[in-house]
Amino acid sequence: MAYHTTLFLFVFLPLALICYHFAPQKWRGYVLIGFSYLFFWMNSKELLAYLIGTTLLTHHIGIWLDGLTIKEANAEAEEKKQIKKQRKRVLLLGIVILLGVLISMKYQNFIGLNASRVAEHFSIRYSFDPVAIVLPLGISFYTLQAIGYMVDVYWKKIEADYSLEKTALFLSFFPQIMEGPICRYSDTADTLYKKSPLKLENLQHGSLRIVWGLFKKIVIADRLAVVVKTVFDSYADYHGIIIVVAALAYTIQLYMEFSGAIDMVIGTGVMFGVKLPENFRQPFFAENASGFWRRWHITLGVWFKEYIFYPVSVSKIVKKWNRYGRKNVGKYWTKIVTSAVALFPVWLCNGIWHGPRWSYIFYGMYYFTLIMIGILLEPIRKKVLQTLHINPKQLWYRALQFVKLMVIVITGELFFRADSLRIGVRMFRSIFQDFQPSILFDGNLLNLGIDNLDFMVILVGCMIVLLVDLMKEKKVALTEKLEHWRLPIRWSVYYGLILAVIIFGAYGEGYQVIDLIYAGF
Amino acid sequence: MKKIRTIIFVALLIGILFGISGVINHVYLKKSNMVTGREENLAGLQKEEDNTIDLLVLGDSESYTSISTMMLWKEDGISSYIGAQSGQQIQETYYMLKQALQTQKPKLVMLETHVLFRDNAGMDAYRSVMEENAMYHFSVFRYHNIWKRLLSSNIGDDRQFFKGFRVRDSVAPYDGGDYMQETTVKKQMTGFVKNYLQQIIDICKENDIPILFYSAPSPVNYNYQKHNTLIEYTENAGIPYVDLNMMTSELGIDWTKDTLDHGDHLNIYGAQKVTKYMRKYLEENYNLPDHRGQQKYKDWDVLEDQYEKRLLTLKV
Amino acid sequence: MDKLLEILNEIDDSIDYEAEQALIDDQILDSFGVITLVSEIEEAYDIELEAACIVPENFNSTQAMWAMIQKKIEEK
Repeated sequence: MAYHTTLFLFVFLPLALICYHFAPQKWRGYVLIGFSYLFFWMNSKELLAYLIGTTLLTHHIGIWLDGLTIKEANAEAEEKKQIKKQRKRVLLLGIVILLGVLISMKYQNFIGLNASRVAEHFSIRYSFDPVAIVLPLGISFYTLQAIGYMVDVYWKKIEADYSLEKTALFLSFFPQIMEGPICRYSDTADTLYKKSPLKLENLQHGSLRIVWGLFKKIVIADRLAVVVKTVFDSYADYHGIIIVVAALAYTIQLYMEFSGAIDMVIGTGVMFGVKLPENFRQPFFAENASGFWRRWHITLGVWFKEYIFYPVSVSKIVKKWNRYGRKNVGKYWTKIVTSAVALFPVWLCNGIWHGPRWSYIFYGMYYFTLIMIGILLEPIRKKVLQTLHINPKQLWYRALQFVKLMVIVITGELFFRADSLRIGVRMFRSIFQDFQPSILFDGNLLNLGIDNLDFMVILVGCMIVLLVDLMKEKKVALTEKLEHWRLPIRWSVYYGLILAVIIFGAYGEGYQVIDLIYAGF
Repeated sequence: MKKIRTIIFVALLIGILFGISGVINHVYLKKSNMVTGREENLAGLQKEEDNTIDLLVLGDSESYTSISTMMLWKEDGISSYIGAQSGQQIQETYYMLKQALQTQKPKLVMLETHVLFRDNAGMDAYRSVMEENAMYHFSVFRYHNIWKRLLSSNIGDDRQFFKGFRVRDSVAPYDGGDYMQETTVKKQMTGFVKNYLQQIIDICKENDIPILFYSAPSPVNYNYQKHNTLIEYTENAGIPYVDLNMMTSELGIDWTKDTLDHGDHLNIYGAQKVTKYMRKYLEENYNLPDHRGQQKYKDWDVLEDQYEKRLLTLKV
Repeated sequence: MDKLLEILNEIDDSIDYEAEQALIDDQILDSFGVITLVSEIEEAYDIELEAACIVPENFNSTQAMWAMIQKKIEEK
């Protein structure tokens, strides 16, 4: 049961809201936990034990760390050192267990199979039988939240949580368990624990956001899904511009689907009075690849930045290099090496996080390389802009940047979607074989599973989303603006949106229900 | 104030959906071929003039490949309609009947029994019930794709729709031999199916419509275990039941020629044989009126003409 | 304080550091700027900034940075 299904929207969510509303304030937390565990159970059955186990562990490690912090404050200098070490060990214990579970479930087969391949290469006798493993719902998301919490307590950014109810709420809250956003404890735990009563205003805002998400998902993404599936499933039958079309279609599908799902998630949160962090900020308006990633799946990027990038860049060894480098090789190269050292693990993890596949690792390395090239060329770029008196805010320059970004992103998503790295490479190469843009206009596109009316809907849908994103980029507070419009106009907009989803949605006969893509990561 | 406004908003939304559904049902579905595919037979009900159908056949694809409505018309003047969907689920059967009863007063309902053995149960079944219910009351959800037909130019292609029956003439023989070997084992129906079946029977009772179960010949879909279950059920419920799988030789079914897809469905030749038998059965047990020559049924003759022409084009 | 401003201007001199109150939150300083800044501050004031210090609140304004530096010097 995902967020876009009738079961969730018309049964589960209303039931959760009603129970929450009528429960006495002090029971509301338990109502939410109950519905969250029910949601988890409906998707993953007895694997719920993993979530509960993670919750207990996280809670306990937090309290343990806090106890040591208090002890440390009152200790003598010599003892302090001991306690510091102990705190580190406790944190490591927590991280190792959580990552151990994640790795053993998600990556066991991948590691085993590749190990046996290596063994074969060196003619060592070792064989690995892949095991069928079903992953608990959202394990890639809640594990990161749990680790983030423990590290924050260790860093004394936050105080440990002494209420198990609160920890359980923070880790399990059903709107975000399935595909994020990955929340910081300081972002959501307090508002969740407030258990504030439902407000009509929140319900309205939340519903609007949910319908907007549905529009992106059902009207646009699920239509494009047909095209994407057609081409990627029988990739050998296609080449040239059709591959580009499919990669573009997938890029748009992924954006509409993921950001749409997050709209539904955030909308659901709003209904309960919880403000979940945004996960997208008009990514395609970014200036370059690293800017794109500051706007796309934001909470994942932030997590990597806080818990991998910064810790690595201020680690002793990197600091030593900084001191040495600045004296001996100059600032430029020092920065290059530091960046590379700090960014490599970030992008490796980003790739692997999506799943145990070489194509995901390639995807991570692809962005690592591009961003490193960006850093390398930065001084040259600045110089060129200066000598030619180019203002980077000029329209033609921005347009050029946009085209470049699209090429980068679409190429990346091609490899991301292809069933394996080998297929990805093959598809990429086949683009340059018999490349005929004229195919776009001779009716060939209509053989990809959807008709011209579907293409029209996609086009118009994308324009609407583009318009809304443009306004968001210009910092226009759209929902607030809407509220100041006269009632007939405002209601027409709402009705129009709802009817668009009902009438133009790609559901029912002739379409398939498409599972949420990111719920699979 | 805000609360009242919200209530008005929702009420108005429901009103709009109801209105659009009404327009779809009463304007667009009355035109020909607005809906094709799985829901064609359900949508086609809207095109039938009120109270003209005497025999309503319900079921999945086994039903629209086994009873030729046109043959019943030609030979006996029986007005029949097949309310089927491919892979029909029992809750869909239920809503098909309810939809039909909105405009028709059938004198007999025939249920093809293969729907009774789908494994409907659990969350998915209830989700589907909820969706069916919504689609029944607001047909905009079911037929929302109709906007495409309205915008595209190929409306009114002359596809022939024979009151729900589909003429299929390909042949793919079945050579698996006897599939009705006697046993005492029973293939159970799920509680969900039984529950909905009871509701279907109750509706028929309320409306004074006799119901008849039949099983179309199909080696792929039937066996003695299902036969046992159906015999037991119909005896307990006092419902007449015809298992055509028990009398394939009597019907003259030739599995090398009469099946469309290796014994899953009958083709037109098999359907003709089944219909021939059922004509006799209906004649002996039910007194369905002969409407031939009546003003109200003029278009049935036109359709029957087309049907005959279609039969002439068959390979044979 | 002057030393801090000098460091900041060296990283990017197009920013009015004394006025800005949301250097991180508004993404005026990116993560590379932050890590350069950290190593420069460490060298200039002979202090150690660990990962736990790198939070937006500590880098959003020059005042915040200055306060953090003072605290670290005291702790030494």
